[in-house]
Amino acid sequence: MMETLFENLTSGSMVFLIRQTLIYAVPLMIVALAGVYAERSGVINLALEGIMIFGAFIGVLFVRLVQQWGWFDAVKAADNWVGLQGFMLLTMAVSALLGAIFSLLLAFAAINLRADQTVGGTALNLLAPALVLFLIRLIANQNTLQMATGDSASWFMLKKSMFGYGRTDEVGFLFDTFVNKVYLATYVCILVFIIMSVILYCTRFGLRLRSCGENPQAADSLGINVFKMRYAGVTISGALAGMGGFVYALTTTNCTSNGDVAGFGFLALAVMIFGNWKPLSVAGAALLFGLFKCIAASYGSLYVLNGAGEQIYFLKDLGINTNFYRLLPYLITLIVLAFTSKSSRAPKAEGIPYDKGSR
Amino acid sequence: MKNRLLKLWHQDATRSVMASVLSILAGLVAGSVIILIVGLCNPTLGLKSVWDGVRLIFGGLFATGRDASGALTFGFNPASVGNMLFRATPLILTGLSVAVAFKTGLFNIGAPGQYLAGTAATLFIALSIPSSVVPPQIIWFLAFFGGMLAGALWGAIPGMLKSLLNINEVLACIMTNWIAANLVTWVFDISNLKNVVENTKSGYIYKTTFNNVATSKLGLDLIFHDSQVNGGIVVAAILAIIVYIILTRTTFGYQLKACGSNRFAARYAGIKDKRNIVLSMAIAGSLAGAAGSLYYLSGNTEFFWSTYQSLPAAGFNGIPVALLAANHPIGVIFTGMFMSMLDIAGLQMTNLTAYNEYITDVIIAVIVYLSAFSLLIKTLLGHRKAHKDDTPLKNPGPQNTQTDSKADGKEALKA
Amino acid sequence: MDNAPEYVIEMLHITKEFPGIKANDDITLQLRRGEIHALLGENGAGKSTLMSVLFGLYQPDEGVIKKDGKEVQINDPNDATALHIGMVHQHFKLIDVFTVLDNIILGAEDTHFGFLSRKAAREKVLSLSERYGLKVDLDAKIEDITVGMQQRVEILKMLYRDNEVLIFDEPTAVLTPQEIEELMEIMRGLTKEGKSILFISHKLNEIMEVSDRVTVLRKGRYVGTVDTAATTQEELSRMMVGRPVQLVVEKDPAKPAEPVLTVEHLSVPSRLYKRDAVKDVSFTARAGEIVCIAGIDGNGQTDLVYALTGLEKPSGGKITLCGHDITHAAIQDRSKAGMSHIPEDRHKHGLILDFTLEQNLVLQRFQEPQFQNHGFIRFDETRKYADKLIAQYDVRSGQGPLTIARSMSGGNQQKAIVAREIDRDKPLIVAVQPTRGLDVGAIEYIHGELVKQRDEGKAVLLVSLELDEVMNLSDRILVMYEGQIVGQFDPKQTTVEELGLYMAGAKRQEVTEA
Repeated sequence: MMETLFENLTSGSMVFLIRQTLIYAVPLMIVALAGVYAERSGVINLALEGIMIFGAFIGVLFVRLVQQWGWFDAVKAADNWVGLQGFMLLTMAVSALLGAIFSLLLAFAAINLRADQTVGGTALNLLAPALVLFLIRLIANQNTLQMATGDSASWFMLKKSMFGYGRTDEVGFLFDTFVNKVYLATYVCILVFIIMSVILYCTRFGLRLRSCGENPQAADSLGINVFKMRYAGVTISGALAGMGGFVYALTTTNCTSNGDVAGFGFLALAVMIFGNWKPLSVAGAALLFGLFKCIAASYGSLYVLNGAGEQIYFLKDLGINTNFYRLLPYLITLIVLAFTSKSSRAPKAEGIPYDKGSR
Repeated sequence: MKNRLLKLWHQDATRSVMASVLSILAGLVAGSVIILIVGLCNPTLGLKSVWDGVRLIFGGLFATGRDASGALTFGFNPASVGNMLFRATPLILTGLSVAVAFKTGLFNIGAPGQYLAGTAATLFIALSIPSSVVPPQIIWFLAFFGGMLAGALWGAIPGMLKSLLNINEVLACIMTNWIAANLVTWVFDISNLKNVVENTKSGYIYKTTFNNVATSKLGLDLIFHDSQVNGGIVVAAILAIIVYIILTRTTFGYQLKACGSNRFAARYAGIKDKRNIVLSMAIAGSLAGAAGSLYYLSGNTEFFWSTYQSLPAAGFNGIPVALLAANHPIGVIFTGMFMSMLDIAGLQMTNLTAYNEYITDVIIAVIVYLSAFSLLIKTLLGHRKAHKDDTPLKNPGPQNTQTDSKADGKEALKA
Repeated sequence: MDNAPEYVIEMLHITKEFPGIKANDDITLQLRRGEIHALLGENGAGKSTLMSVLFGLYQPDEGVIKKDGKEVQINDPNDATALHIGMVHQHFKLIDVFTVLDNIILGAEDTHFGFLSRKAAREKVLSLSERYGLKVDLDAKIEDITVGMQQRVEILKMLYRDNEVLIFDEPTAVLTPQEIEELMEIMRGLTKEGKSILFISHKLNEIMEVSDRVTVLRKGRYVGTVDTAATTQEELSRMMVGRPVQLVVEKDPAKPAEPVLTVEHLSVPSRLYKRDAVKDVSFTARAGEIVCIAGIDGNGQTDLVYALTGLEKPSGGKITLCGHDITHAAIQDRSKAGMSHIPEDRHKHGLILDFTLEQNLVLQRFQEPQFQNHGFIRFDETRKYADKLIAQYDVRSGQGPLTIARSMSGGNQQKAIVAREIDRDKPLIVAVQPTRGLDVGAIEYIHGELVKQRDEGKAVLLVSLELDEVMNLSDRILVMYEGQIVGQFDPKQTTVEELGLYMAGAKRQEVTEA
């Protein structure tokens, strides 16, 4: 029974489902980790959404500028995929860098001026779309910034042709799911996620950073510079969120920027809380949310094959309104929060500005 | 005289106003700087357009167009002022919504969702009851109160999640915002209220005037001709005054503020903190609902129903309105008008220059950013609060300040 | 060693000013190598400020610090650590969710290719703990271990950093008498190994027992330094407060009458763990007596009070107040049934710090007809009432009824709470640590008020951690240990030592009905 179901699924839209889930889950995961870094250092980063928006804009703008530069056309014409993938990695780095710089605004308000972190984060959430739209209108004379050439970012994808396969070659389920037509950015993000998680738990820096989110007075008494650690937490958070913003734009909106990431930054916050501020749980939570997001976005085209080989659009056939699937991720988030809020344990000192005078 | 001035200066309220004024000025200056940078970087714009842009940022409300030589002209512009009042109406109400919640220690970022709930309920009532059977005035009242009620219910949800399950209200509000956006889209999608008469536009709901329902103009259109102004601004001001009275004069307001300042002490004193949190969010929701309701009851505004991908800016802009007013209900009337003045300036900018209206959103964001540390600005203005006759008996040194500083931290969160 | 200077640390003419107060005014302290030097003073005498200066947390406005005879600049705790000065803070500086080992190495970690390497650290800590008899479980999380063990972690933190000057800031406040004895032993062991110890305390008997010399501070000023062997408790106490202390509360014998509060088999679930924090507790408080619940912090007293006052739901048992069953009553109804309450944490539970004094004074009463009319506050009545209480209870503040509570001193904040609670004139007063952190004058005043209320026929339930207060104020003592009442005593017929044995769980009576 299970076997046939699996077969039916794999032959149906399983490949699509897994690929699509990863596409949603990975930005969520990396941005949720961004939240973990800020909050573990003691600063509530409500600005994840804004930083994502900013990072997405910067990434798209960078792609656009490089495209206009001529080098890109040559690379693309030669189908030099090392060049293309390198270009994408560079864009990710640029988004991360600018995201980190943007997050300094939050760090300055929250750490130096001991401002209300919730309001400060909200300010960044207002600032990012406003600034981005203002500039997009000036640059593109419309409300969406697109790449300079091409209306699809698919040339950033890994393709089987890069591995020597022909267009029609069978490549197997695993290869088809995890390599063909998948963005390298997805795996880079997963790698970064793992590295940053290891840093948080296994290094001196990580230990000290976490101590500042739990008991900054204690950290200070041991000679740890709480200000520096919190700055580090917030800027790393900004870099990860900025990068996540670009990856989101690349993989879900075809490398365009319109001053919006559809509440992904806030969803990432929910993922962070659901994941109890721990990277491994955060990754699991992100996958779960990615799945729901994916269902919401493409429930109509999900099908399994029945015994007779017909395509059964099981979700579409339920006849439930599209809008229901669209609101599902948010509803699930709320329900999940309701069930986990009792056992969740935030870093003790998050949200409380550190004042050197009060010990 | 000098003494009285000094006393005025030392009053908390004065410093709040000064802090807000400083934030506003800094925001406007920041906007001007961005205009300048963009203008300098972009050769097609040039210094002249920078100068135009800056003048519009500060005086957009009074811009009357360009004269024959192409220079900007300024003067009293009744249409602009009227539209400013019209646009201020929802801002004042969402600002009140955020302010009331703040007083109870809650950050109501759910105003957009409550606004949508109010909008949907109002439009349904206003368009479904035939005006041939029920007098339009009565439909107006039903629609308005229906909108407030819907907003109240929607606001009560995060309130209950907060008080019963201790879910962070910010997150709960954000989720309910998006749920509202999808739900409203869904409800209108299957309704028969989609405007099919004017074929030139798609995706809009009928104007309420389609059913002869509209807010009375109260003669305001005679003063500010060619504008959209109507009685809504009066309703908003009255609601602000009611909120002010509730907060300062009644035991209910006393309880709300007690819960906001120190939930534990309030509970210790027998005040039902959980109930008050829900009530406060419901009131906040009803005000945001009223904002949406009044905006669409004006009769000449249309609602774009397929809103599942975006949230109404009027909801979010309640946050800067409340922050700038230091959560004072009467202050909200003025800061709401200021924000809508910025809106008008932005429109003038789009109409009259190569810049666009998003610069005003940037300015608003800068103002919110600055008001995040308005407490600090206030203390700077006051050169540190002097400890007067009551020098603490305790040593302010390390051992006894722990609880105090913690409370301060919480305080900052709520201020 | 012979040519080493006599003093390992010298703090000469230290002055430190905070806005509005001179916390340290020309204070000199000299610590000899290998001695235990006590620093004595009341709350607010400037002890902690002085130690914070030595530890680099504050910079002195005037004065110099010398280490081994050489002048040094201590700008932050790093400098202090580099000079091998370490401190056990009164409030432990530990990260609750970290393990003991991580807490010890934090700030002085070894790394291997950038990764934390805990192996060498573990060995070093184990050998230190062996050498000084400091037993700890290195892999336990701080939140799971006892306060005594947390303190040993703090000591190990100092030793791990090879400190030679160890500062103990009121280390005994949270310990049982037996744990205190152990700590004294450890301190003596440390000095034998060549460490020098600064011991901050206001407990005379401990100072007499363990220290070699004593420096006394009073109100930020230096009073003097004496050899412990050549002084007496009385002399030290005179130096500390500047007048002979009235350690005994003047009061007549109690005349207990009818029961006001009856607690039967009460159990209260713990807020942190899946067990009961209060187990099967029964006792009575009668009109005209002060019943005191004594015990070390964290043995269920807080939970008991929460259940009595309605902040926590009991899991079993019955509470009767003046004949009414209030086991599951709402907080307001308990108040109406006859309970007033001076809470433990005046900032968290007692006052709304951003409200004015008058608003705080009607916190429970604003809904009484006297203060409201159809939901509208009667401001004139509120003011009149506040003025009355302020005059009657001598609450001092900058702007009278309009003073923001936050700007008042701790003593006056507490007086305001006491005024409010006593004036409500309820048959039962629950007072939890009513004098915590207050100066002698305020303590005397509040003790006097409580005795007065008792004499007027009220029942007073006092919860206190201060044994002196317990012994002096109460008419009957109940000792709580691990959520149970383990003994009942007449203060005239018991000693602090005996109470200590019960508080530490070393002894217990079979108390069925207290």
